Amino acid sequence: MPRADVVVVGAGLAGLTAAARLAEAGATVTLVAKGHASTHWAAGGIDVAAPAEARTPAEGVALLAARSAHPYSILGADVEPAVAWLTGVLVGEALAYAGTVHTPIRRVPTAIGGTRRVAIVPEAQSAALRPWEPDEVLVVAGPARFKDFWPSAIADSLSRDDVWHGADRPARVVGVSVDLDGHDRRHNVNALELANRLDDAAVRAADLDRIATAVRRAAGGRPGRVALPAILGLRAHAEAWRDAQVRLPLDPFEVPLVPPSVPGMRLWQALRARIRSGGGRIQIGEQVHRVEVAGGRVAAVEMEAATRVHRITTDALVLATGGIAGGGLIATVGGLLVEPLLGLPVEAPPPDEWLRRDGLHPSGHPIESAGIVTDADLHPVAADGTRLANVFVAGALLAGQLALRERSGDGVAIASGWRAATAFLDGRARAPRRRAARVARAVG
Amino acid sequence: MTVPHTADVLVIGGGATGAGVVRDLARRGLRALLVERGDYGTGTTGRYHGLLHSGGRYVQKDQVAARECIEENRVLRRIAPASIEDTGGFFVATPDDPDEYVEAFAANCEASGVDCDEVDVPTLLEHEPALDRRIRRAFRVPDGSIEPWQLIESTLADARLHGSDAASYQRVIGFEVTAGRITAAVLRDERTRSETKVWTQFVVSAAGAWAGQIAAFAGVDVEMTPGKGTMLIYNHRMTDAVINRCHKSSDGDIMVPVHTVAILGTTDIKVADPDDYDITREEVAQLVDEGAKLFPDLPRMRILRAYAGVRPLYKPPAADAAGGNRSITRAHVILDHADQGVENFVSVVGGKLTTHRLMAEQTVDVVAAKLGVTARCTTAEEPLPDQHGGATYWLGHRLAEIEQRGGGDADLLCECELVTRPMAETYLDEHWPCTIDDVRRGTRVGMGPCQGAFCTFRVAGLVAERLDASAGDGPADRAEHAAIADRALGAFLRERFKGTRPIAHGRQLQELLMTNGIYTGVLGLDSMAPAVGPSPVTAPEAVDAAR
Repeated sequence: MPRADVVVVGAGLAGLTAAARLAEAGATVTLVAKGHASTHWAAGGIDVAAPAEARTPAEGVALLAARSAHPYSILGADVEPAVAWLTGVLVGEALAYAGTVHTPIRRVPTAIGGTRRVAIVPEAQSAALRPWEPDEVLVVAGPARFKDFWPSAIADSLSRDDVWHGADRPARVVGVSVDLDGHDRRHNVNALELANRLDDAAVRAADLDRIATAVRRAAGGRPGRVALPAILGLRAHAEAWRDAQVRLPLDPFEVPLVPPSVPGMRLWQALRARIRSGGGRIQIGEQVHRVEVAGGRVAAVEMEAATRVHRITTDALVLATGGIAGGGLIATVGGLLVEPLLGLPVEAPPPDEWLRRDGLHPSGHPIESAGIVTDADLHPVAADGTRLANVFVAGALLAGQLALRERSGDGVAIASGWRAATAFLDGRARAPRRRAARVARAVG
Repeated sequence: MTVPHTADVLVIGGGATGAGVVRDLARRGLRALLVERGDYGTGTTGRYHGLLHSGGRYVQKDQVAARECIEENRVLRRIAPASIEDTGGFFVATPDDPDEYVEAFAANCEASGVDCDEVDVPTLLEHEPALDRRIRRAFRVPDGSIEPWQLIESTLADARLHGSDAASYQRVIGFEVTAGRITAAVLRDERTRSETKVWTQFVVSAAGAWAGQIAAFAGVDVEMTPGKGTMLIYNHRMTDAVINRCHKSSDGDIMVPVHTVAILGTTDIKVADPDDYDITREEVAQLVDEGAKLFPDLPRMRILRAYAGVRPLYKPPAADAAGGNRSITRAHVILDHADQGVENFVSVVGGKLTTHRLMAEQTVDVVAAKLGVTARCTTAEEPLPDQHGGATYWLGHRLAEIEQRGGGDADLLCECELVTRPMAETYLDEHWPCTIDDVRRGTRVGMGPCQGAFCTFRVAGLVAERLDASAGDGPADRAEHAAIADRALGAFLRERFKGTRPIAHGRQLQELLMTNGIYTGVLGLDSMAPAVGPSPVTAPEAVDAAR
C-alpha cells in the first residue's frame, strides 16, 4: 500500500511550498489536489503584506502580527526566511523574482488601469517598481483584438492622478494596439494562447519587432518604459523575457491579467519541477474524500480516482485546501461553514454579517476572515477537543486574515507551508528511533 | 432626445403595458408620448420570470384570466415571434399535489379554452430527466418564454413608425390640474436633472406598482398592494420546457428556461414601497425547498442570483384583506378617474405581461371614446417590426449564425452568451452614445453564468476605445472616458453583488469571493476612486433590471 511521510492536500502556494521544502529535505511527500489552485488566477507575485500604513512588507508583517487573531501573530518570524528560501528555489528553476521583505512597497499599473501595492514580483514585472523620472513616458502596448488587455482604456485610466494615490507616476501614458501576423477575428485569443505563441522563437522575434516599431513611434524619442500584458512565454519564458529586453526600445514590464494567469502558471511549473526533482509525487485531479483519524493522529488519506479509491498511509498531513474561494471551506444554505475533510470547527462571523451591503466596500467583507484556528505549531483542534498533533493547517484556510485588503495571502501561504514542513522535519529529527522502528517493520 | 412639449396623450410608464398603450394610440392616429423614469423595461416587466402564460396557472381559480392568457398567447406568437421561445410547458402532478386538483385540471383547461393534452410520464421523463421520477401525471400546454426588452423595443418601434414617441429617464414629478383636467405634466430628466413641461389632452398611467404615486399627483386615490415576487436564476437549463406544479398556484412552483439559464419563481409577499424591499435568506431557502419537489437535485444546483419584482396588484376599495396577496385578482382593471373629479386621466393596473396588448386595447378604447376617436384597434393584426421573418427565437441561433459565416468572429467578448466583438461593435454603431448597461440589454453580454465577472471590463475597454476615437483625446477627455468606464464597471459589479447576497452559499459564495479576489488582487479595482466611491443615489443604474 502506498505510503508517504507527509501528504499535502492543496496545490496553492501553501501546499506547493510545504511539498517543495519537504521534498528538498528528503522526506517522501505526496501532494494531492482536486485541481489547480490560486496560482492560476493570481498575479504571480508574492504579496507578503501591504496594509496602507506599511512602507515595506516587513513593516506590514509587524503591523499584522500585532493582532492576536492574525496568522502572522504566530508566523511573523518565519516570513523572511521562508520567502528568501522560496525565491531562491525559483531562481534555481530559472524563474527570477525581484525584491525582499525589505523592498519599499510601490504602486504598479494593473490591466484595467488601476494600481496595486507590491514589493516582491517576478523579474518580468519588476521594471514597474522603479520610481518614475519626471520626463518618462509609459507606453501600454498589446496585441490588437486581445480581449483581456485594452491599451487605450488602460492608458486613459493611468493618465489620471487619482489612481496613483500620490505616488510618482509617468509624465504621459499612451496606449498602442499592435496587429500580430495571422491573428484575426477568427481567433478567440486568451493569454495562454498568446504565451504559447511567444514560446516559439521565430514568431516571438517577429511579434516583438512589430511591437517595438509601434512603441518607438508612440514614445517619440522620449525615455520611458513599456507595459505589456503578461504573455511573454510560458515554457520558454526566460528566453522570451531576454528577447523582449533586447528587442524593445524601452524597458518592458509585464502586467498580470485575469485568469488564466500566465505568471501564476510559471510559478506552478517551477515549484512542480522542484517537488519532482526531490522525489515528491503530485496528483492533480484527485479529490480527497476521507481522512482516517486514529488516536488524535491522521493515519491515512483516501482519494476518489476514476475507477477505485486510492489510499495512502501517512505520518503527517498538511491541510492547505484554501479558504472559501479555494473550496477548503464550504458555506451551507443555512449559514454554516464546514471544513469538509476533517470537520474542523470554523471560526467565522455570524451569517447576517458575512457580507456588507455594498459589494465594493473598501474594507472587504467580514466572511473573508473565516478559517481554522490553530495552536502556535499550526495544529488544529478537532470538533471533539483533541489536538491533531500530526496535522498542519496552512495558507488561506487559517482564520483571521483579510488577505485581499492586507495583501498578505502569499506571505501567509509561504510562511505557513514552510513552517509546517520545518516543524515536521524538526519533529522527525528529534524522534529518529520511531522512524527507524517503522522502517525495520516495513523491511521485516 | 429632446422631449416634445405637447402630446395628444401622455403615457406614463415604459413597461410592456405602457409600450402597448402608446403603440395602440399611435395606430389609431393619436400623437402620443410615453415617458419612463429609468430605462424601458426596468420595472416589473424586466423583473419577472419571463413566462408567456398559456393560462394554465389560472384555469381553476380565474377562468376569465385564463381565457385572456391563451388568446393573447396566440396573438403574441403571431405579432412578436422573435421575442418568444416556443419552449412548450407542462403541468406535472408531484406526490405533494392534491388529487382533486389534478383530476379536474384537463377539464378546467377545456372550460377556459386552454389547449391541454395529457402526456405519457415516462416519455416526459426521458426528455426532462431532471424532473422528479415520482411524477404521476403530466399535461402539455402552450407555455413559452418571452424576452421583455426586445418586445418593448419592437413595440415602441411600431409606435414611432405611426408618429408617436417615447422618452426614457424622464420622471413625472407633478401635474398641472385646472378645472378638473390635467393640462400638463412636469418631467425631470434623471440624467441632466433639468425639468420640462408637456402639455397634453389626456393622461394614461401605466405605472404599474407605482400607479398610486402617479395618481396622487392629480389628487386621485389609487390603492395598490405591491406584491413582491422573488425569483432565483440557475446557471443552466435543467429543463427545456416550462414546468409548473399541478396545484393551486403557490411559491416556488414554476421553472422557466430563459436563454442559457432557468428561472425558478416565485414568492408573493406584500411590500409597502415598490422601490425598497429586501430578499431574505429564508425566502431563498423556502423557494429552493419547494422547487426541489419538481427537481430533486435543485439544492445542489448553482444559483446565479436572486432578484425580485413587484406585481402591480390593485386593491379595490372594498377588497377584503384577509385572503393575502394571492387572493387579489391577477386580472387588470381600468380606472377612469372622472369618478374622482379628473376628467382626462385613466390608470391601468393589475394584469400581466402576457395580456399587456389586451390591457392596452381596452385602455385605449376608453381614451378614444372620450376623445371622440372612432378608429378601431389593429394591434392584434399586424406583426411588430424587427421580427426576423416571423420565426420564433431559437437558443442556438448565435452559434448557427457564426457557423453560417464560415466560423468567422470567434472573437468572443462574452463566452457565456456568445457575444462576439463585432456584435458588440454593431450595437455601439447603432446606439452610440450609450452605456455598458445598454450594451448588456441589447446583446445579453454579462447575463450568463459568470454574470459579468469576465466580460464587463472588456465592454468597458471597447466603450473607452470608442470614446477616444470619437470624442477627442485631450487629457480632460481621457480622464472623463476613464471615469465613465470606472463608474459603469463599479455599478455593474455592485448590481451583480446585490443579486448574489441573498444566495451567498456554496459555489456562488465561492465564486463571489474569487471574483473579488481577481478584481481587487489582480486588477486593483480598489485603487479606482470613481468605481469604488459611494453609488450616486439617483443613478440610472440604481433602477437597473435584474437579468
